[in-house]
Amino acid sequence: MESASIAAGHAAHDQEHEHHGPPEANVSSRVEAQFLGMLLFIVSELMLFGAFFTAYFFIRVVAESGWFPIDGQDLPVAIAAVNSGILLSSSLTMHWALEGARRGNRRALQVGLLTTFGLGLTFLTIQVNEYVHLGFPISENAQTSVFYGLTGLHGAHVVVGLTLLGMATTRAFRGHYSPEQHRGVEVPGIYWHFVDIMWIFVFSTLYIL
Amino acid sequence: MTFAQRLTAPGWYRAALGTALMFAFGGALVVGVRALYGWDPLFNWDAIITVGALIAAPFGYLVGIGCFDYWFYWASGRPTRPEDHSGHGARSWKDYFRVNTDHKVIGIQYIVTTMFFFIAGGLMAMLMRAELAQPGTQFVDPNTFNGLFSVHASLMIFLFIIPVFAGIANFVIPLMIGAPDMAFPRLNALSFWMLPIAGVMMLASFFVEGGAFATGWTAYAPLSTETPLGQQFFTVGVQFAGASSIATALNFLVTIITMRAPGMTFWRMPLLVWANFTTSLLVVIATPFIAGSQFFVLLDRSLGTHFFTPGAGGDVLMYQHVFWFYSHPAVYIMMLPGFGIISEVISTNARKPVFGYRMMAFSLVAIVILGFTVWAHHMFVSGMFSWLRVPMMITTMLIAVPTGIKIFSWLATLWRGVIHLRTPMLFALGFITMFTLGGISGIMLAVVPFDIHVSDTYFIVAHIHYVLFGGSVFTIFAGIYHWFPKMTGRMYDETLGKLHFWLSFIFFNLTFGPMHLVGIDGMPRRVADYAEQYATWNAIISISAFIFGASFLIFLYNMIASWRHGPAAAANPWRAHSIEWQVSSPPPIFNFDEIPTVVGGPYEYGTPGAVHAVFKEKAPAQVPAPAGGGGAPPPTE
Ligand SMILES: [Cu+2]
Repeated sequence: MESASIAAGHAAHDQEHEHHGPPEANVSSRVEAQFLGMLLFIVSELMLFGAFFTAYFFIRVVAESGWFPIDGQDLPVAIAAVNSGILLSSSLTMHWALEGARRGNRRALQVGLLTTFGLGLTFLTIQVNEYVHLGFPISENAQTSVFYGLTGLHGAHVVVGLTLLGMATTRAFRGHYSPEQHRGVEVPGIYWHFVDIMWIFVFSTLYIL
Repeated sequence: MTFAQRLTAPGWYRAALGTALMFAFGGALVVGVRALYGWDPLFNWDAIITVGALIAAPFGYLVGIGCFDYWFYWASGRPTRPEDHSGHGARSWKDYFRVNTDHKVIGIQYIVTTMFFFIAGGLMAMLMRAELAQPGTQFVDPNTFNGLFSVHASLMIFLFIIPVFAGIANFVIPLMIGAPDMAFPRLNALSFWMLPIAGVMMLASFFVEGGAFATGWTAYAPLSTETPLGQQFFTVGVQFAGASSIATALNFLVTIITMRAPGMTFWRMPLLVWANFTTSLLVVIATPFIAGSQFFVLLDRSLGTHFFTPGAGGDVLMYQHVFWFYSHPAVYIMMLPGFGIISEVISTNARKPVFGYRMMAFSLVAIVILGFTVWAHHMFVSGMFSWLRVPMMITTMLIAVPTGIKIFSWLATLWRGVIHLRTPMLFALGFITMFTLGGISGIMLAVVPFDIHVSDTYFIVAHIHYVLFGGSVFTIFAGIYHWFPKMTGRMYDETLGKLHFWLSFIFFNLTFGPMHLVGIDGMPRRVADYAEQYATWNAIISISAFIFGASFLIFLYNMIASWRHGPAAAANPWRAHSIEWQVSSPPPIFNFDEIPTVVGGPYEYGTPGAVHAVFKEKAPAQVPAPAGGGGAPPPTE
């Protein structure tokens, strides 16, 4: 998948007479396998969010159950807006890190990945803090269920994104990645942008609309 | 190996250890949280089983068996172990019980595992027919009966039909498109090893308090949010089956798009490849919706949310909308790969090109698109918006058009063909008739007033079994017989195969045909008892069902005996053109020495000298030129 295993694959190929490996697969598309795999995974993730948005739609619009503020309880729009800014800016630092990898600037790659990771973690911390201070539990009514459900689903995706970023960061500090070989930064990056863009939809439907 | 080494090396010992550790961890988490909040009772076994056994333990098993070893090395930036291909190919039967990245091994692992669950689900069907052989209560109480039909359907759908197609495709597709393996072999292995988790959960639900989940495979809320613990086993189990299915579909799509042999343009792909391509699109897009629906049920059950509580603002019908937005496309997920198998079998055994090859591919795509517009035809009696009924009726009837195109294309392929009535061909012909009958009752059900009349009667049971058994399972039998020589390197027994076909074909009809009649008469489905007036038909149905069930034993014997000592199979016993038949039986460990070059269509039967693909003569190794996105036809050699 990455440089190490590819190198191993070539090594096996060179000593063909001793070690017979699989033939090189034909490349029948200009799109790379890892890139395409991540795109398809995001499509399926989008649909999962789609199911949760369907629940939101049915509860708010079809069942006409109303939306926040409910019984004087409202969502902290201002804090969430600041938090959105934090998350969205992490997309920029992610891009910076990737550019660093492309240009062979290891320093930019490392700092960029670390900043992105830090911003993501900050977002998550503020989100959890918001949960603690909201004052209503998930089991209060259908609206709180959807609210916690959707933000929780998004939060879980942030965790997955952070895990991927963590791997990329670890590998960046261990000397992996080069201008020719940086798919391990690019693919988590796509996922991270997806998580950020998804938040725009979650934020605007839950907090603003 | 010492015991300590066994516990740290990937395998069953470590899997057992991981399962136990994660169960303990999950259980401790529940108890810890409850202690922290001072909740009573401290040991809430429903919660401990849900978190410990259903959610945490499976991950311990997956890590233990060795699905993640490579990725752990990769993630920590350590050098990954040089690929020595020891995880490739199977040298003894024991290799099938290890994590293996060879698509051929995974394919067989899938098929054998799903057959196990097919037998389990089949035995439940036998028990249900025994109970229904006469009115009154004979063997099982009503609650157990509800559990039986629920687990039966769930196993057949999520653990047999959907994954067995993935198994057949896993074995055949990389060979068919001239690829050395799948695009993501380790993900492929992970998909397989996730699957048994779902099956074991569904079976295990019989042993918890309150019995197995008893809400049908549809698990409608709010019934499913109020039933005993067994329901949780379905709710979580489906997530694992779904994740497995999505990962495989993604893998198929990437493999088919990026790894086709030179010259294999989309319009030269065998229709089985097309079928799995379109099925995989459906899986990737639709399956997250059933995951969503079960997340809502899980949250309502475990955290007390109110997705489905009308009094608290919830919406009950939302469940059915979300569920059927997956589960209608799911019927095509259970059918399109079968369409592909039938195209291969019919064209090979009639020695003719598939009639209207491009229309066959286009109709698959049309089914994928239309399949997303018909979900509410399952909800005509649910009390949903009445304005949605007629549009759904019309789209449901429309979707019969591409399906009809396929039926007529197969018939036209048979027309004036040189027909070889081998076992796979018999099943293919049986499929065409049975699936057409099931399709016609489907059109009847699309008509709103008729649907309202027969809703929740045995007519529905008849319809679903005509499309899923007479349809899907017949194609599965056709496919397994057709590729048996390729998979095992041995021939099956043709006489036993034919006997299996005729017995199952006749008694399938005697079992499910009469259900149409008692259904229209009003016999309700999913009930352990029935009125006296249906007694005669039900006795006939039960007797037929037992013979029908027994006919499977012939198949089982044939497969096992032939695999062990059947006569050796030639590389191409059916004289088929597609690439998998151009390599030895069973195929070499890395499929090919040299990637073949595709020079023509896959079904040029009847044209003297026509070939689909050629292998280069032994030439000095050279890097093959990329064939570009569309794949320009390569120079003929
Ligand atoms: Cu449907």
